[in-house]
Amino acid sequence: MSKQAKILVFSTEKISDPAIDMAGLLKLHYSPQVYTIALRCSSSIKPRWIIHAFEKGFDGVFIAADGSDCAFSESCTEKTGNIVSQTHKLMQQKDIDPARLRMAAICSVCSESFVKQIKSFNEYLLK
Amino acid sequence: MEKEKINLFFDAMVIGGGIAGGESALNLANNGYKVIIVEKDLSIGGKMIMLSKVFPTLDCSACITTPKVSEISRHNNITIFTESDVNSVVKMGERHFRAEITRRPRYVVAEDCTGCQKCEEACPVIVKDQYQYNLIGRKAAFIPFSIASPKIAAIDIENCTLCGACEKACPSNCIDFTQKALDYVIDIKSVVVATGFKLFDPLKIERYGFGKFKNVLTSMQMERQLAPTRPFNTILRPSDGKVPDKIAYVLCAGSRDDSEGNPICSQICCMYSIKQAQLLMGALPMADITIYYIDIRAFGKGYDEFYEQAKGMGVSFIKGKIGKITKGERGDLTLRYEDVSTGKIKEARHDMVVLSVGVLANDEAVPMFRSNTLLTDPLNYIRQEDPIISPAKTSIEGVFVSGTASGPMDIPDSILSAGAAASQATAYLKRIN
Amino acid sequence: MEKRIGVYICACGGNISDYVDIEKVKESITGENAVLLAKTTMFACGDANQKDMDSDIRKNDLNGIVVASCSPKLHLSTFRAVSERAGLNKYNYVHANIREQASWAHSDDKPGATEKAILLVKAAIAKARHASSLEPIKIKSKKSVAVIGAGIAGIKAAQALSAMGDKVYLIEKESKIGGNLLNINRVNPESETGEEIVKRLSKEIENEENITLLTGHRITSGSGNIGDFVLTLKGNNNPGEDNFPEKEINVGSVLVATGFESYSPLTGEYGYGQLPGVVTLAQFNKLLKGQNGMSFVAFGKEVKSVAFIYCVGSREIKGDNKYCSRYCCSAAIQSALDLSERFPDSDIYHLTRGVRSYGKQELLYKEANRRGDLFIQFPDKEPPVIEEKDDKIIIKVKDILSGKRELEAETDIVVLVTGMVPVQDDNTGSIFKLPRGRDKFYNEIHMKLRPVETAIDGVTIAGACQGPKNASESVNSALAAAAKSHSLVSTGELELEPIVAYVDEDKCTWCDECSKACPFNAISVIEMFQKSIARINKSTCKGCGMCLPVCPTDAIELISFTNKEIEDMIDVLSQ
Repeated sequence: MSKQAKILVFSTEKISDPAIDMAGLLKLHYSPQVYTIALRCSSSIKPRWIIHAFEKGFDGVFIAADGSDCAFSESCTEKTGNIVSQTHKLMQQKDIDPARLRMAAICSVCSESFVKQIKSFNEYLLK
Repeated sequence: MEKEKINLFFDAMVIGGGIAGGESALNLANNGYKVIIVEKDLSIGGKMIMLSKVFPTLDCSACITTPKVSEISRHNNITIFTESDVNSVVKMGERHFRAEITRRPRYVVAEDCTGCQKCEEACPVIVKDQYQYNLIGRKAAFIPFSIASPKIAAIDIENCTLCGACEKACPSNCIDFTQKALDYVIDIKSVVVATGFKLFDPLKIERYGFGKFKNVLTSMQMERQLAPTRPFNTILRPSDGKVPDKIAYVLCAGSRDDSEGNPICSQICCMYSIKQAQLLMGALPMADITIYYIDIRAFGKGYDEFYEQAKGMGVSFIKGKIGKITKGERGDLTLRYEDVSTGKIKEARHDMVVLSVGVLANDEAVPMFRSNTLLTDPLNYIRQEDPIISPAKTSIEGVFVSGTASGPMDIPDSILSAGAAASQATAYLKRIN
Repeated sequence: MEKRIGVYICACGGNISDYVDIEKVKESITGENAVLLAKTTMFACGDANQKDMDSDIRKNDLNGIVVASCSPKLHLSTFRAVSERAGLNKYNYVHANIREQASWAHSDDKPGATEKAILLVKAAIAKARHASSLEPIKIKSKKSVAVIGAGIAGIKAAQALSAMGDKVYLIEKESKIGGNLLNINRVNPESETGEEIVKRLSKEIENEENITLLTGHRITSGSGNIGDFVLTLKGNNNPGEDNFPEKEINVGSVLVATGFESYSPLTGEYGYGQLPGVVTLAQFNKLLKGQNGMSFVAFGKEVKSVAFIYCVGSREIKGDNKYCSRYCCSAAIQSALDLSERFPDSDIYHLTRGVRSYGKQELLYKEANRRGDLFIQFPDKEPPVIEEKDDKIIIKVKDILSGKRELEAETDIVVLVTGMVPVQDDNTGSIFKLPRGRDKFYNEIHMKLRPVETAIDGVTIAGACQGPKNASESVNSALAAAAKSHSLVSTGELELEPIVAYVDEDKCTWCDECSKACPFNAISVIEMFQKSIARINKSTCKGCGMCLPVCPTDAIELISFTNKEIEDMIDVLSQ
C-alpha cells in the first residue's frame, strides 16, 4: 500500500459519526490512516486541540461538521466556521499550511460525501 | 396418585421465546409487569439466533439477538421456562387465565452446570445436530449451540445409552438421570402467543431432489454455513467437501405454490437469498451465484437498494421456474428451468443448489386453549380479529398475537408487531386492574 | 486513584476478526499503562462474555472498562449496564469502535485495519484512564406525549398512549383526521373502506379523556429536550373564522406520525397532465368511487379498459427515488379488483416491474389473475410509451413475460401507480432536527434494535413518515412507538447524561463570550472570590460544548471531553 496522509477527524456523536459508521457498513473504503474522535458538537472543538494534532504529527485535520442538522443550535455552522478561521490564524503564526485543516458539513447519511472529501483531502496532503 | 403441581402467578405469559416473544416480554417487563416466557426448546432466541447476518444492513444476527437474549434472561420481571410445554390454557374469568405447564427434564441441574463441555467430550454417542440443521453431528450430552441461553448442557435421553461417561466427566456433579418432569399451574391475566413459524419441508417437493442429492441444501443449512458460529470454517458442499463455485438459489421453494397448499408469498426468502448471495460473494470471491426467481420482492426500507447492490456485485438473476433438478457427474446438479425472458426450456449445471424454503404457519398454540377457541385464518395462522386497527387482537379477549404467529414477516416487522402486542397487552392489563 | 482497566476485544463472529487481527490488538495493548487485563471474545455482547466481564470487574476490582467492538450507537448502553451490574459506575466505561470504523471501513487493507484498531483501542484506554464516576442528572418528565399527525398511525398511537395512561395531544394540520386513509376505497385484507376505518378510529378516541385533539393546527416551533419539550402551535386561518391564537403545549415525548404524500408525476411523465385519461391511483380511486351509473363514465366517454402502470416515482433508474414504495402493488391490485367488481366487463392491464404482493397479499394477486386481468412486466430500463390516437390512448410496452415481445394496447384510462414520498411541507423534521435516511424519510436509530427511536432523545417515529408502509404495518409501528414514548414518560422521571460544562474559577475573567455562545441560556455571572465569574446551570446545560472554544482564557471544560482527554487521545492516535 502506498503512503497515506495521517488525518484526524473530529466527528459528532449524533450527526457525522453515524455517517462515518455507515461508510463502514457500506464498505466504502478510505485510508486506514484516518482516525476519528467523536465529540458532542462540531462547535465545541478548541483550536488548541487542532494545533496539538499538527504538533504531534498529523498531516491533516478534518472537521465533519453538523452543519444545519445540528440539534443544539442553528448557529452551529457559523460557530464551527469561526473556529476554523481562528485556528487558521494560529496555524499561520506557526507556519502551518492553513489548507491542512478542512471542514465540511456531513449529514447523518452523507457517507459517500465523507469518503469523497477524505479521499480528496488525502490526495491534497500527499502532494 | 396425582403429582403435586407448583403454582405460580404472573401478569402475562408469553408462549414462545423467539425474537418476537422476547421483545413483547421485554416491553411488558419494562412497564412493570411480571412475565413468564414458556419456550419449548432448550434455548431462547428462536430462529433468529441461528442466522448469519441480517438484511439489508448485514449486521450479524447474533449481535442483535444475544444482547436482547441476555437482557431478557436477567430481567427481574421475567421468568423463563425452557424445554417446557403449555398443556392447556383455560380462561377462568374476566381477568384470569390458568395454564398448565410441563417442564421436561434436562437431566442436568441447571444451577450447577458451568457449561464446561466436559460431558460433551466424554459422551460416546453421536447423532445429527438439529441446531446445525443436520450438517454435522453432536453428542447425546451437549450444549445446544455456543450462544445458547441458558448456555448449559442437556442430555438427549432418547439417544443416550446411559453409559454414565458424562456423569464421571462432570466436574460439578450436575448430571442427574433421576430428574423428572415438573408440572406447574400458572395463573396469569393475559397471554401473548409468539409461537413463530415453521419452515417448509423440501422433502415434499420430490423433483428438487432434497434428501436424495447431498448437494441440494436448504437455505437454513446455508445460513448455518455462513454464520459466525458455523460448523465448518468455510463453505463446503456436503458430497465431497469441495468448495463450491457455481451455486444456484431456487426461490419460492414451498411458497406461492398451490400444489403444496401454500398459495401465499413467504415474504422473506427473496431477501435472505440475496443476502446469502452477497455473503457468499464475500466468502468465495470466485464463485458464480445464480438466483432463479419468479418475482423479486424487495419491498422494505433499503431492500430494493440491497437487491440492486447484489446485481452490481455480479449476482445473476434469472426469472424462471425450476422444473426438475437431476444429478450430474461428480455430485454436480443439473437444473431444468423455463427461462421467462426467452420462453425456452433451458438447463444449467451447478455444483450446489440452495432451496429458499418458505414460511408455514405454526398452529401449535391452537389446541392449548381449552375454554375458548383460538381461531386461525384459512392458512392456519393465528387469526387477527381486527388486522388493521388492532393487529395483536385474537379471537380470545386477553390473548394477543406477536410476530410471525399471525403471518409471514421479516425481522423488523416481527419486532414492530411484538411492540404492538406488548402495547395492546399493557393497555389490557391496565384496564382490567 | 490508581486506574485498573480491563479491555475486551470483540471478534464479532468474524465481522471484526476477519479483517482485524484481534490477537495482535490484544498483544499490543497488554502491558499498557493501567491495563490490568486484556481479552478477546467471540461476541462481547453475548451473555457468556457479559458474565465474564462481571466477574472480572468484581474479582480484580477493575475501575475502568474498554470494549472494542461495533459502533457505540449499538452497544454502548449494553456494556455500561454490565459495568453497573458489577458495581462499577457506568461512566468508567469507554467504547472503541473497531467494526464500522476499522474492520468494515478498511476490509480492503487488513494490516492497515489492524494498525488502526490498535490505535483506536489505545486511545480508548487513554480516555478510560481519565474516566471517573458520575451521577446521571435526574429530571422530572412531563407525563404527556404530543402525537403529530392524525392519520391511522397517529390516531392509533394516541389511542394506545391514552390506554396506557398518558396524556396525549393529537395534532393534525388538516381540519379532519384520517390522513391518506380517506383516499383509499378499500383497505385489504378486510373489505372495509378507508372512510369506514377512519370512522371506527375516531370512535376509539372520541371519548378518551386523556386525548386532546387539535385539528387544523400546525407546529410552528419546538424547543426543549426529552422530558420537557415545548411546542408552539398555530391554528389555520380559515376565511370567516377567527384566527386561533397561538398555543403552547408542554410534553415529555414527541411521537411523529406525519405520514407520506403520493408521488406527483411530472408533467409529461407517461402523458400525465397532457393527455386526459392519465391519472394517479388516488385520482382513479376517486373517479371510481364517484360512479353511480351502470357504466363507468369518465373524461366524457365510457371507460372499457384501464391500464395500471406500476412503480411511478419508485425504484427510479434515473430519478432520486431508488426505493420501493411497498404498498402500491397491492393497492393497485385492490383498485383493479374494485373496478372489476363494479364493472365486470372492464379490460384491465397491469404493467409492472414484477409484482410485489408479499405475504398474504399474494391472494389478491391470484384473485386478479383469476378474474382475467392481464399482467405484463416491462424491462426496468424500457418503460411503456403512451401515445394519443383519435381519442384513445395507445400503450406500447415490451413484455418480459413473453420474450420481450412488443405489445400495443388501446385503453381509456391509464392509472399511474404512484409511490410514497416524504411529506414536502412537513416542518416537524426541521423543528426537531430529525435525521433522514437515504430515501429522505425519517431515519430510525436501528431497524431492529431501536426501530421507532430517532437520534433525538425523546422523539419517536411511527407509520409511513419512517418509510413506506401499508395501513396495518403503520399501526404496528404506531403501537410500538407508543410503547416506547410511554416508557419515556410513564415514570415521570428521566435520567440524562451528566455531560455538562464546568468553569475553572481561577482562570475565568468573565468576558461574557461563553454566555453569548450558549444556545440554552445556561450560563450566568456570579460574584465569587471578589471577582465576576461564569456559572453554569447544570440542569439547563445540554453539554453541546459551544462555550468551550470561545473562552479566551480556556477556562471552560466539558465533562468527559476535557483538554486532557482529547489531547491524550490525539497523542496516542499520532503514534
